[in-house]
Amino acid sequence: MNYPFWDIPILGSGWVIGLIAIFHVMISQFAVGGGFYLPLAEKKALAMGDAKMREAWLAQLVHHSKFFLILTGVFGTVSGVGIWFAIGLTHPEATSTLIHNFVFGWAIEWVFFVVELTTAAVYYYTWNKIDAKLHLVVGWVYAGASLCTLIIINGILTFMLTPGDTWISVAGTGHEASKFWNAFFNPTYWPSLCLRVCVCASLAGIWALITASRIDGDKQPALKSSLVKWSVKWLVPSFVAMPFLMIWYYMMVPASQQALLALGIDTIGSGTFSVVTRMALVIIVTSATIVGVAYYLAYRNPVDFNLSHAIAVLLLALMATGAGEYSREMLRKPFVIGRWMYSNGVRVPYVARINQEGYLAHSNWVWGSTGVGGTSATNYSRGEAIFRGECGSCHTLNGYRPLTQLLEGRDRANIGNFISMLHDNKADSPYHKFMPPMVGTKQDEDDLAEFLSAQVNPPAAQKGVQTAMVQK
Amino acid sequence: MSTNIISKPAGKVNEVYDWVDERLGLSELMAFARHKTVPVHSQSFWYYWGGISLFLFLVQCFTGVLLLVYYRPGAEAYESVRQITFVMHFGWLIRSAHAWSANLMIFAILVHMFSVYFMKAYRKPREFGWLSGMALLGIASVFGFSGYLLPMDELSYFATKVGLEIPSAIPWIGPAIASMLRGGPEVGEFTVQRFFALHVVVLPALFVPLLAFHLWLVQRYGNAAPPSVESLPASERKSMPFFPNFLRKDLAMWLISLNVLALLASVFPWALGKQADSLVPAPAGIHPEWYFMSPFEMLKVLGNILPGEAGEIAGLLLFTLGIALWILIPFYDTGKASGQKARAAHYFGLLAVVLLLSTTVIGYWATR
Repeated sequence: MNYPFWDIPILGSGWVIGLIAIFHVMISQFAVGGGFYLPLAEKKALAMGDAKMREAWLAQLVHHSKFFLILTGVFGTVSGVGIWFAIGLTHPEATSTLIHNFVFGWAIEWVFFVVELTTAAVYYYTWNKIDAKLHLVVGWVYAGASLCTLIIINGILTFMLTPGDTWISVAGTGHEASKFWNAFFNPTYWPSLCLRVCVCASLAGIWALITASRIDGDKQPALKSSLVKWSVKWLVPSFVAMPFLMIWYYMMVPASQQALLALGIDTIGSGTFSVVTRMALVIIVTSATIVGVAYYLAYRNPVDFNLSHAIAVLLLALMATGAGEYSREMLRKPFVIGRWMYSNGVRVPYVARINQEGYLAHSNWVWGSTGVGGTSATNYSRGEAIFRGECGSCHTLNGYRPLTQLLEGRDRANIGNFISMLHDNKADSPYHKFMPPMVGTKQDEDDLAEFLSAQVNPPAAQKGVQTAMVQK
Repeated sequence: MSTNIISKPAGKVNEVYDWVDERLGLSELMAFARHKTVPVHSQSFWYYWGGISLFLFLVQCFTGVLLLVYYRPGAEAYESVRQITFVMHFGWLIRSAHAWSANLMIFAILVHMFSVYFMKAYRKPREFGWLSGMALLGIASVFGFSGYLLPMDELSYFATKVGLEIPSAIPWIGPAIASMLRGGPEVGEFTVQRFFALHVVVLPALFVPLLAFHLWLVQRYGNAAPPSVESLPASERKSMPFFPNFLRKDLAMWLISLNVLALLASVFPWALGKQADSLVPAPAGIHPEWYFMSPFEMLKVLGNILPGEAGEIAGLLLFTLGIALWILIPFYDTGKASGQKARAAHYFGLLAVVLLLSTTVIGYWATR
């Protein structure tokens, strides 16, 4: 409402965040887990009695830390910044709320980022140049800094799903930041942190399998065997703890969001929000089987384990991670900040006011009445402006969650009734659980219905129908 | 190459194992399995596709039985599938898994077939393996065709109607065959009942023993290596024990296939169109499923070159000839060393791949 609308055709702007974020999470969680993997592996190597094996391990760790530095320091960093750009463009309302609440927490996270990047570079470039114990210390400093970045961002992410009663009680009063710690350590903070730490450990092992798979098993069978087997073990904590952590997480999610998980059990009908159920199934199947794949491909055949095997395991991890992040985002519907801000940026307490004054009354960027006679300076209709503001954050017209398809077969009157149903947002409405109410005046409802009807039933088709009716 | 010494489980488990072994001869089975080796070379990846096909068939059996509990053939076919998809708990998932697994299974069988072909694994003594494999592919295709009709929505009804035009084009006996398959002059509830009987009784009864025969042949003769590897001296050829090394990797491939299937079934659940109505015209661009698109398009092209009955007969003859040559390739390319026949067979295989891919793509392009 208060910001311009960032129109991404086909994909929708939400997926810009999604694609960058999933890519980022695959790398950043490796950065955290790998931050522990490296010093632990180095410590293990230094403790080895067999000098040849020790030297081989350390040489391999030099390779792995180079890979680690480039992947996390370049791609992790760039994609992390990419998320900033994407969320600012896609959902400036929500980003504004998060910044107002957590700006100093975020600033602290950036301090840890600087420590992380510096220590990662120092760790790599001082191999065999400084005392081994000091080198290990550098590794541990990196690990600690990296973990702190996760500890901080986890608070902000989980706040969006469960801001907590305390923060909600002061939301909109200007005193939100006074409840920083309540918002930070919100109901889903701890289960989410434990889940993510487990995932970080798994990703550390999985990415290590990528570099370990490139060891020549014929020339260095002992090295490859020991490293591959040790890396696979990093998946075990996640496999064991995940079911319990997921149950804990589910129990801390509000009942209204828990209900979203059940929507897809008995149907995939058009207009049903079955995606959370379906994504949850992908998470369960992938998480349950990835250890088996790693065990049979890597642990029991370490010398034969090659790069394509390692990439297969990585792709499974990508599936699990992507499905996890996607379902976490979908679980928040109809909110972007639970109980405070709907997905389309409308704040819950402002609904009544907007219904009275009209949606476009406070949407200068989307519909600025600077033209002659109160018309808009923009070149689209009121209906389209309302669509962009109220529907565009989750729907496209012809791409992702396409409204032309979802409303197919409905005529103008039917679409109007549908929008009225969304406007009334009664508790027994089938869309109440996952869609924000349509906010605005009766005129806004009509303008939106007119626009959507024109998209679903284009004028040529409408003329054809009218002709056929006349002929009958 | 890694070696694994299979150690017997200890303690009580050992006693149980011995008791079962005495009665069922497990040690003999293990010795047989250990005896078999799998060649290791740059093309070893293709050895997994037979196992992937088998896994997907097992998924079909499992999901098929679950669907069988609620599916009602005949007049209520569409309604029963609607209930499975939109009412039963996770009915949509079982149906989606079944539909996706069917497509993936046929894809895996085709990849398996082509990899066997190009590795010349149809040569002596594996001719029966090739022939039984071709029969399995044929039955799998009929599985696909018969199963496709069962939901009785618009798409399946018209796709079957169009598909049955192919057998009805056979000179003299074609119309009778098509009528027998349809259970009447038109596709309807009798057709569904016949296809259902075919899909859940007749075809499994043919497929399972043939599959067992096919697997026994693979165990008996082992995996063939490409001619370039077979020509190497024995000391330069690498291999791994089938049990447990290859089997472990095979299991991992099964788990990966399961994940691919889960992803497809969950992210792209199989839709159900409108109920079939024989009185409405076929939707524009109706076409068979992708594995029948190639013959469908080839017949269309030939029909354009030679219109009318001549075109239909020419198309069928050409197609039948092509399949016959393909099936009989072990009797043409029998040599061990590469020679003229071996090269000709190789080029024939490449021609088949190009033809199949291009006609499938053109077929989809034409229906846009």
